[in-house]
Amino acid sequence: MPTFRRSVWLLAGATGCWLLLLLGTLSQGRTVLGLPADWPRWLLLLAQGGFAASVFLYARLQPNPLVGHGFLVVLRRLFWRGLVLTGLLVGVQTFVQLTAAHALPLPGDSTATVGYTISLALFIILLAQTLYVWRSLVSFRGSSRLQREWTAFELLLGVALLFQLFVWNAPDFVRVAVITGLGLFGVYLSGHQRWVAYLSQGQKLQAILLQLGVLGFLLLFLFYLRGAQTNPVLLAPPTQQAFLVLTSFFAVFYAVAGLAVTLFNLPIADVYEQRRAEILSLQQLSQIIQRGQTAAEIYQALFTSAVQTIHADTAWLCVQSQRADVASPQPAPMPVLTHELASADLAALQTQVPALLAGKQDEIVDNDLLRSQRLTGLSQPFGSVAVLPLHSATHHYGVLVLLKKEQAGFDPEDLSILHTFTTQTVLSLENLQLAQEARISQSAQDELRIAALVQERLIPKHLPTDNWFEISTYAQAAKEVGGDFYDFLHLPGQRLAVLIGDVSGKGVTAAFHTAQMKGIFHALMQPNPLAKKDRDRYPDPQRFMMKANEALTHCLERSSFITAAFYLIDYEAGGFSFARAGHCHTLYYHSIKEEVSYFRSEGLGLGILRDGSYGRHVKNQFWDYNPGDVMVVYTDGILEARNAEGDEYGEERLAQMLSESFYQSAEEINRHIRHDVQEFSKGLPLHDDQTLLVIKFKAAQPQS
Amino acid sequence: MKVTAQPADTTLTLLLDGELDASSAVVLDTELNKPELLNYKRVLIDCQKLSYISSAGLGVFISHLQRLQDSNVKLVFYNMQEKVFNVFEILGLDSLMTIVPTEQEAQAA
Repeated sequence: MPTFRRSVWLLAGATGCWLLLLLGTLSQGRTVLGLPADWPRWLLLLAQGGFAASVFLYARLQPNPLVGHGFLVVLRRLFWRGLVLTGLLVGVQTFVQLTAAHALPLPGDSTATVGYTISLALFIILLAQTLYVWRSLVSFRGSSRLQREWTAFELLLGVALLFQLFVWNAPDFVRVAVITGLGLFGVYLSGHQRWVAYLSQGQKLQAILLQLGVLGFLLLFLFYLRGAQTNPVLLAPPTQQAFLVLTSFFAVFYAVAGLAVTLFNLPIADVYEQRRAEILSLQQLSQIIQRGQTAAEIYQALFTSAVQTIHADTAWLCVQSQRADVASPQPAPMPVLTHELASADLAALQTQVPALLAGKQDEIVDNDLLRSQRLTGLSQPFGSVAVLPLHSATHHYGVLVLLKKEQAGFDPEDLSILHTFTTQTVLSLENLQLAQEARISQSAQDELRIAALVQERLIPKHLPTDNWFEISTYAQAAKEVGGDFYDFLHLPGQRLAVLIGDVSGKGVTAAFHTAQMKGIFHALMQPNPLAKKDRDRYPDPQRFMMKANEALTHCLERSSFITAAFYLIDYEAGGFSFARAGHCHTLYYHSIKEEVSYFRSEGLGLGILRDGSYGRHVKNQFWDYNPGDVMVVYTDGILEARNAEGDEYGEERLAQMLSESFYQSAEEINRHIRHDVQEFSKGLPLHDDQTLLVIKFKAAQPQS
Repeated sequence: MKVTAQPADTTLTLLLDGELDASSAVVLDTELNKPELLNYKRVLIDCQKLSYISSAGLGVFISHLQRLQDSNVKLVFYNMQEKVFNVFEILGLDSLMTIVPTEQEAQAA
């Protein structure tokens, strides 16, 4: 550690120089320890200068005392050091006086000489300590320019140290000019008292006392040395006048200037303290925000901060009801926040404050309440009131009411800090709500994902297979859950029931009804044990629709409806019966006529008529099929698929697709159509749920 | 979507302008929900500028159908574009609601 080694060297140098000075001073007029008497004057001056330089450089090497400590700690430490040094001085001088009391001291008295040399050393140490504490205070929050100025000041002091050594013949005016210049430099540096502003009122008082102490010690030393200079008993060499005078001058002047600044700062210390309290309150507020606490805590923080910072005599925070648009399972009860408020006064405020605000958005201040009588019926004569509404662009959160007994209690500074408080509070309330909404929407997302899984399970996984038909399916929901549905049921006797449908609307509500339709389908397709004929065991399509409509009457909301198509295919009869309830027309390829066409039939959607007259609006249709015929059943998401220009896919294009692919397998036909639909609305989000079933009839004989 | 109401004596005409989908259905629903609607003998819906109707839009008419019938208020659509008429037709609403080509026929209905 070079710094450590350097300070050891400096300490050794200081001790050596001091011993040299002591011996040289003692040698005046006699021999000491067998050394020659009357050492040359320059040697003594060199020893003295060397000692001063070592002590100052040593102090300079010490780390900045302000790092890690407060101003008061540093000042206190300097005070204690000064006290010890002064105590030593007093002790040494008392000893000298006591020994000299017996006899008239002669010039060159060794006790007095030793005492003087020790005292001089103590003074130089005190000066060095003081100077470097002052340096840390001067350079507190100082610019780099100030640092350079200080270094220049030190350098010039070093030059002054050399004055006695080399330039003792210099003309007086040079000396005076240099010393005056350095003195003025010191005065300029003494102007840097920034640190004072960072003390609280109590700290300032302490600082004044400590500075007074240090100043006292310095003056005591100066007083003694001034006496010693003219003491005939001493045969000491002159001290390095210029250096010591300058350093003492700066040390004393800085202390005096600091005292003055601190003193003048005392009356306005409370302003600084208030500012600091405001900053602390703001910090507290923002900390509460960061911890993401409840709204009640944020209101409490605002209330406490405002009351404490503004020193309100009475206060009331009226919190408006919770935001209605935030679904909160258990709205936390909002505490009524009051400070020194009588319940009668609370009632008076509750009736008068809304009228006072009268829909205004800005804060209201009345600094002369006694005259204006804007608030009446209060138990105490309040002089001023501030009313601050808490509101964002969209929502009103509440009102903060602060009352003071004195008139003109709220100045613009108070209002600006209150304004900052309320703005910050509103901001944090908004943040809190955003966070809550995000949480709610997250949980809704999770629920939706589960709903999608449930719905996925409702889709028939195992398609009915037989060698007289082929089925291919495709379904795609526009959102997590959809409103389209389809289902199959293999009935005894080579019969197949097929249901397809679309619930109006989208999302979870629609998804619920798809599940319901699946339930209705399976319930209605139970064999009727009372049926005489095998054919009557299962409801025909028209009957199925009537029953389904009846079942839906009680649970489908009035503005919702369901479109469906139901097919009952009978292989033995080689035909199928079907009914359409407002659903898209069935697309059909007729293999004998080699023709693609739609079955255009009438039929009303489910859930539209709920008074029993529905049966008149739905009909049974019959159709005999031939092997090779293809039936395409779909939902309106296919027909209403849109392209970038906003055109709809349409029946015509769908029919065209079937006529291009009817000879292929059901799976290939399905793929051909859906590729074309996807190509049509390429790059666009799915507008509606899409479902596509392709059933192809085959010639193969059923296994008997 | 814009809904303009034109009251005249015993007839209320609602002019629909734009696309009637889930978001604009609310506007129409508010209009049809007004209690004074039942004081008229007929409510005419001018569909000339109605370019699209979604299932939610149909749902609004369906939900008010019974109420209007019970109060003997006739609901008549006219000037309907073919595309929009197809939607009514596929759902089977043409058999339930009065849809006529022109305003004269609507007034006479």
